[in-house]
Amino acid sequence: MAASKLQAFWNHPAGPKTIHFWAPTFKWGISIANVADFSKPPEKLSYPQQIAVACTGIVWSRYSTVIIPKNWNLFSVNIAMAGTGLYQLSRKIRHDYFSDEEVAVAQE
Amino acid sequence: MGILHTFWNSPIGPKTTHFWGPVVGWSIPIAALADSKKPPELISGNMTTVMCVYSALFMRFAYMVRPRNYHLLVCHVANESVQLYQLSRWARARG
Repeated sequence: MAASKLQAFWNHPAGPKTIHFWAPTFKWGISIANVADFSKPPEKLSYPQQIAVACTGIVWSRYSTVIIPKNWNLFSVNIAMAGTGLYQLSRKIRHDYFSDEEVAVAQE
Repeated sequence: MGILHTFWNSPIGPKTTHFWGPVVGWSIPIAALADSKKPPELISGNMTTVMCVYSALFMRFAYMVRPRNYHLLVCHVANESVQLYQLSRWARARG
């Protein structure tokens, strides 16, 4: 029972014998790198990079459902990218625009 | 006029996500290009290394996916180049 499911996965057109599997699987690295960077101070985050990551995540989630073969692995990884990108953006925006009082006090 | 019409109605044209996917994908190499003018201390070693492997894999993906997507391929070639450049700047700054 499990063996046949494993076989189905192994032989899937978007399975581990194909680039359709490995490219999206590796793309998880981007979100993981972003999660690792959650501990970076917001001054070191890049607006262009995080906006790019968030927007690509959103558009590509849609793309993954219309290509052949349809790729749910790619879909989920892009959802994660959009999520981590938006979170990093919120950290940086909050730091740059909503913590002015602390910065002002520190400069005195 | 005809070519514009063909492009507009193409199965990988501007009415489809096969077009807009790569268009938005350009934001990543463009962001990296903008960041290449900034001091290398701001570069994330994690993210840049990941981007290098990522674009290498997706060059292959763009070629193998149906519909085949040369626009996406070019986008990842560009990203690979700029990410490798950023990686070299980061490595050199670390000494």
